[in-house]
Amino acid sequence: MSITQPDATLPLARIPAVERSWLLRALRVLRTFARRSPMSAFWGCVAAGIIFMAVAAPALAPRDPTRADFRHMAKPPSELNWFGTDQIGRDTLSRVIYGSRASLTVAAGAVLLGTTFGALWGLACGYFGGRFDIISQRFIEFLQSFPDLILAMAIAMALGVGMGTVIVAIAITRIPFGGRVIRAVVLSLKELSYVEAARGLGASHLRMMARHILPQCVAPYLILATTHLGVAIIIEAALGFLGVGIPPPTPTWGNMLADSLNAGLVPPWWLVLFPGAAITLTVLAFNLLGDGIRDALDPRLRGAV
Amino acid sequence: MYSYILRRLAFGAVTVLGVSIVVFFVLRVLPGDPLVAIFGPEGFTKLTPEARAGYMAQLGLSDPLIVQYFRWVGDILTGSLGHSFFRSESVAEMIERRGPLTAEIAAISVVLSWLVGIPVAIVSALRPNSFGDNISRFISILFLAVPGFWLAMLIVLALLFGFGYRAPLANVTFFTDPLSNLQIVIGPALVLGMGQAAYIARMARSSLLEVVREDYVRTARAKGLNGRVVIALHALPNALLPVITLSGILLGFVLAGSIPVERAFGTPGLGYAMYTAVSERDIFVMQNLVFLYSIVFVLLNILVDLTSAWLDPRIRYR
Repeated sequence: MSITQPDATLPLARIPAVERSWLLRALRVLRTFARRSPMSAFWGCVAAGIIFMAVAAPALAPRDPTRADFRHMAKPPSELNWFGTDQIGRDTLSRVIYGSRASLTVAAGAVLLGTTFGALWGLACGYFGGRFDIISQRFIEFLQSFPDLILAMAIAMALGVGMGTVIVAIAITRIPFGGRVIRAVVLSLKELSYVEAARGLGASHLRMMARHILPQCVAPYLILATTHLGVAIIIEAALGFLGVGIPPPTPTWGNMLADSLNAGLVPPWWLVLFPGAAITLTVLAFNLLGDGIRDALDPRLRGAV
Repeated sequence: MYSYILRRLAFGAVTVLGVSIVVFFVLRVLPGDPLVAIFGPEGFTKLTPEARAGYMAQLGLSDPLIVQYFRWVGDILTGSLGHSFFRSESVAEMIERRGPLTAEIAAISVVLSWLVGIPVAIVSALRPNSFGDNISRFISILFLAVPGFWLAMLIVLALLFGFGYRAPLANVTFFTDPLSNLQIVIGPALVLGMGQAAYIARMARSSLLEVVREDYVRTARAKGLNGRVVIALHALPNALLPVITLSGILLGFVLAGSIPVERAFGTPGLGYAMYTAVSERDIFVMQNLVFLYSIVFVLLNILVDLTSAWLDPRIRYR
């Protein structure tokens, strides 16, 4: 086509180099994304809003989330405390806002650690194949024989409580997913002729993996990572709920739900409703954003991730 | 078929062995002192070194790890499974008493998930991108995001405030008192079932949409069968194969999910026992329960694999 219409390339050439900076390019990509799937863009904005809430928590929270106020204990939502207070008078709204910090840090940490490690492992498995691959697959199978929450619970319990522990525990449960998906991608890539050509030119293994195979794995990795953020948030909340998450007094959504059960025979509804709604909204936002990214980058992966 | 069954069982045996080693490694070798768990950090510092060594020997924790591991394997094979740190009941007795309730919850939830998920998927797949399809897709995406234990807490609260109703807290089997047994079981089963139904509806929808495009479905339509017969008798059986596999994977979701959900409902099942063991840092109970849950998960998945191989001969020869 470009041969019959040589002018088509001209407008591009007229754009000054400055305008093609990475920022503008990113904005353009985002605009195209938003135009193609407005729903995902909306949920992307919600996710961005939640991330902003976590970063700006000290500025947004009306009160200190750990400060007890014995004049206002277990009060339902009012003008003073929009989301009510818990049994020792801590402001639920502030705790929900601060809770996003723990959730997002753990989820991001676990995915960055676990999914990335799994992905690199999967890359090596798919690329080298052979005995290394067979042994690795067995090992991944062992990891997958545990329901993920149970494995995370056992690891978190064995390592002792703390944020780092929770991140590691959830990260380990994410390894098999990254490994499986990326391995499958690499196996199909390996057969492509451009990879064969590179091998024919005498590229080293490291160069082959880094220059020719890795870039093709970025899209599936991104999709996988966004989807698993949601899963990691739910596992973190469940760990907190079961008392093996981040220890109190750090406010996390899971801890708040566990606390509400200790608030008396009947948990006050505002202590149950708001933290859970925060979990649901966050997971929903990341899941739908992940779906949107998948459809935009690689619709073939539908169902695989 | 027999060779496939044998191969699958052999893999299963290796997996069970691997799982037992991973469980043992995680709970014994990783740092964390069981005596701190039993006596608390404060009580632990008050123990003399001799007392510590004495307790460790009494619990069998001062032997070499390999000895401990084989002793545990022996315990599993004889079925005694060791004792809790804090209760006189042996782990085997606990499983016998509490297990049936959780098994019942899991079974009912799986049935519920199919009863809800498949019809929703059929309605969606018959008219893709219609209003009904979009609604059902949004609801299933919503259910993927809702933590089960939160839904459980909301249900408990709603029943309590709306109707002044609370499910009985006693542990009764179906055969002694079916009515109160069902009241205990139905809540957790419903919550876990809806969570699975969301996954099943998504998977069945996309699988149906794929199958509907196949030639043999077009042939069935071309010979004049009406749409419902084509879907029910021709498309659905083939579309359900991946759903069966998914249902097996989701069992992990049920087993793990039953822990926080039983905690939220106060159901006296195995999940609640696991919660108690975790909050008491009871290593022996944890070790056996984690192993039991994983074994059940592995065995059920072997069963699922065999079922799909039986239904689809192509799998056997792969």
